[in-house]
Amino acid sequence: MLSAQDNEMITRTGPGTPMGEYLRRFWMPALLSEEIAEPDSPPVRVKILNEELIAFRDTNGDVGLIDNNCPHRRASLFFGRNEECGLRCVYHGWKFDTNGDCVDMPSEPAESNFKDKVKVKAYSAEDWGGYIWAYMGPAESMPELPEVGWAMVPESHRKVSRRLQENNFVQGIEGGIDSSHISFLHFGLPPVVRDDPARAGHSLSNIDAAPHFIVKTTDYGFVYGANREAENDSYYWRLTPFMLPFFTVIPGGTGNPDERTYSGHGWVPADDESCWMFTYSWNASRPLNEGEGHGASFLEKEPRTMRAVMNKDNDYGIDREVQRTKTFTGIEAISIQDSGIQESMGAICDRTKEHLGTSDSAVIAMRRMYLQGCRDLLEGKEPFVPKKGSAYRVRSVADVMDKKVTFEETTEKVAVGAT
Amino acid sequence: MLNAQDNQLVSQTGPGTPMGELMRRYWIPALLSWEVAEPDGTPVRVKLLGEELITFKDTDGKIGLIDNYCPHRRASLFFGRNEECGLRCVYHGWKFDVDGNCVDMPSEPAESNFKDKVKVLAYPCMDMGGVVWTYMGTLENQPPPPMFEWTQVVETHRAVNKVLQESNWLQGLEGGVDSVHASYLHNNDITNTTRYESRSAAPSIEVEPTDYGYAYGSVRHLSKEEGNFVRAYQFIMPFTQLRPDDRRESGASPKVAGHMWVPIDDENHFVWNFVYSLGDEPLTDADKAKHSDLAYEVIDINNGFRCIWNADNDYGIDREVQRTQTFTGILSDARVGANLQDRGIQESMGTIVDRTREHLATTDRAIIATRRMLQEAANVVGDGGTPRGTGPSYYKVRSIQRVLPVDVPWQEGMKELLFEGAEYSPIMQ
Repeated sequence: MLSAQDNEMITRTGPGTPMGEYLRRFWMPALLSEEIAEPDSPPVRVKILNEELIAFRDTNGDVGLIDNNCPHRRASLFFGRNEECGLRCVYHGWKFDTNGDCVDMPSEPAESNFKDKVKVKAYSAEDWGGYIWAYMGPAESMPELPEVGWAMVPESHRKVSRRLQENNFVQGIEGGIDSSHISFLHFGLPPVVRDDPARAGHSLSNIDAAPHFIVKTTDYGFVYGANREAENDSYYWRLTPFMLPFFTVIPGGTGNPDERTYSGHGWVPADDESCWMFTYSWNASRPLNEGEGHGASFLEKEPRTMRAVMNKDNDYGIDREVQRTKTFTGIEAISIQDSGIQESMGAICDRTKEHLGTSDSAVIAMRRMYLQGCRDLLEGKEPFVPKKGSAYRVRSVADVMDKKVTFEETTEKVAVGAT
Repeated sequence: MLNAQDNQLVSQTGPGTPMGELMRRYWIPALLSWEVAEPDGTPVRVKLLGEELITFKDTDGKIGLIDNYCPHRRASLFFGRNEECGLRCVYHGWKFDVDGNCVDMPSEPAESNFKDKVKVLAYPCMDMGGVVWTYMGTLENQPPPPMFEWTQVVETHRAVNKVLQESNWLQGLEGGVDSVHASYLHNNDITNTTRYESRSAAPSIEVEPTDYGYAYGSVRHLSKEEGNFVRAYQFIMPFTQLRPDDRRESGASPKVAGHMWVPIDDENHFVWNFVYSLGDEPLTDADKAKHSDLAYEVIDINNGFRCIWNADNDYGIDREVQRTQTFTGILSDARVGANLQDRGIQESMGTIVDRTREHLATTDRAIIATRRMLQEAANVVGDGGTPRGTGPSYYKVRSIQRVLPVDVPWQEGMKELLFEGAEYSPIMQ
């Protein structure tokens, strides 16, 4: 449970809000590189942290991320002409480069120097790991680009996407670091089946649906482990790294960690009532196969809004007969089960009315980190931000291990290169 | 730039707001005459200056414009029965005439005189020039009829229509008194460098205040030999623009076009488009097109007069066309003219543009003059005075474009044409 005040604190991200200022200390994905693949290609609308922005790639290939509204009369630069190293407003022809400088103002007399006095808001933007990353904070606080797994492999080894979700970003993260729901929301079968191991098949998550959770703070955020009882005096461990400010890597199947394909999400606020789910998959040892990594349900979107085709307007396609006889939810795809249940909590979940249990310990740890970051800023202190990109060289773990292996020992396996 | 308070003042037009009180001093276009053509026909919803109203034509052909809500229990009179000289609420049968009197109250005992005590809000209407006009102010301030020249020529010589714009009304007006953007937004052939607007893309803007509003000229210098290309506009308080549609260089008959930007509420308005001819020949379909019923091919009259190209589809922008042919890539054809480009860019500024964050330049002079005039007039009304443009002085003004010698100021060279009804012999009704 959070107080109403704390709930406001972690969910509001507009300019000047504590959480908004905290998030502005990090690089964050703004859009996919392929959305502005070509120099001088059409500009793209980007709304992040409650700011309406326009992204474009100029003639030289440099990326600009500037205010949606032209500083002259506030027309949208979305309709702009992307040409000759700048974006030109179609209302009166004012033109801006990727730094936000006004480089042409043809509607004013030639002798005017007004153009030297007008700038448009512009943020630092970098092409990195298939995304365009934005940094919207103070220049002196800028960290290195995070060396996340999917950015450290060749393009053929990764797959990236983004999708709009109609709820506050914190709900997205909370779903991503909540290992216990997979035994219900995703794998879940009707209770009669779930309670009878003989009928439950071989899904390891289903054998013990009430795992123990342990959290450990790290130099990138934290890692948390959930261990479930498995056969032969062992535990089935799932370890999830939480990388500040909002990235996770989902534990998947067991096997050689260097050869596995990993997936995860980053949750970027669009505004306070919607967020962008950035999804990434990668394999460090080989190119991804066709259709590998996050599946089709992540990609079936309304083209203009980027909402999932299965959304709240159609109750996520719930099939009550399927729910009665086959799956826990009656909603088909895993990613839609997640977005459906997270959106169902309301645009901004009222955390004064929730009741957290022991299996919610990672959720609590994440909120504490956010609140600490906010409070530091309110007190005029710089919050903890991983400055070194190398801190992000981690991955998830899913493995059956002897019960003698301690949590401390298992968490070492999260580092890239560990075996 | 305006501060937040002034921005609110010029944008808001609901009852009791300064700008709303100013607008309630003028005749306002409420709907098109054909929307209430039939006596005893279907009532029509009308929203004006934030007020929800119902219009109907009674058995005798008189037009009523009354409150949407029945004064009894507030049911909508839209569902009413339009019969025997009055609109009857379908909830309990109360009936009102075009003046707002309750003429029948069958749900009360016959001996009751309650019906004589109940009225519904009603505004006077006038059918002129294909438009039903209304006056929403107090009786003692009612101005003379809105006899713009275009409302007085015979029907064959004029055309009028309307289209929904999903932004505050003032964004429309400000676009309409900004001649400069024609060089950019409406450059529909980027390869043609001979257009006057392309040859001279930073015109000088000159504003001449009058007792109805102002005239302004956009002066584009071509060369010493050729002279200056001048487009002279009229702004008539509080929301009417006249602009030249005069292609006499090509032998066409002289025409004047214009817009009215009429608030529906603070976040929507109707853009009224009209054109009229001052020559002997009637308007052709090509002349009428975007100003007439012909535009309803792309303006959905069954969806609140919303254009089929709108914010939901980015106004149909075609990036390839934008790259190679036109400045915007947004369609400009006979049915939409430049209006779709205007609407797109004006809506893109946000529902109510944040004028605290704009940067006005020298070429925005007419926009600045408009705001000052509106603020001044709102103050005049607030002080109990009479604002500009409520008299008949605008009846004969027109808009003209000409190429003038460089040493002839347009204020002198075009004076008679602009203000005194000279040269033309209009075909009046």
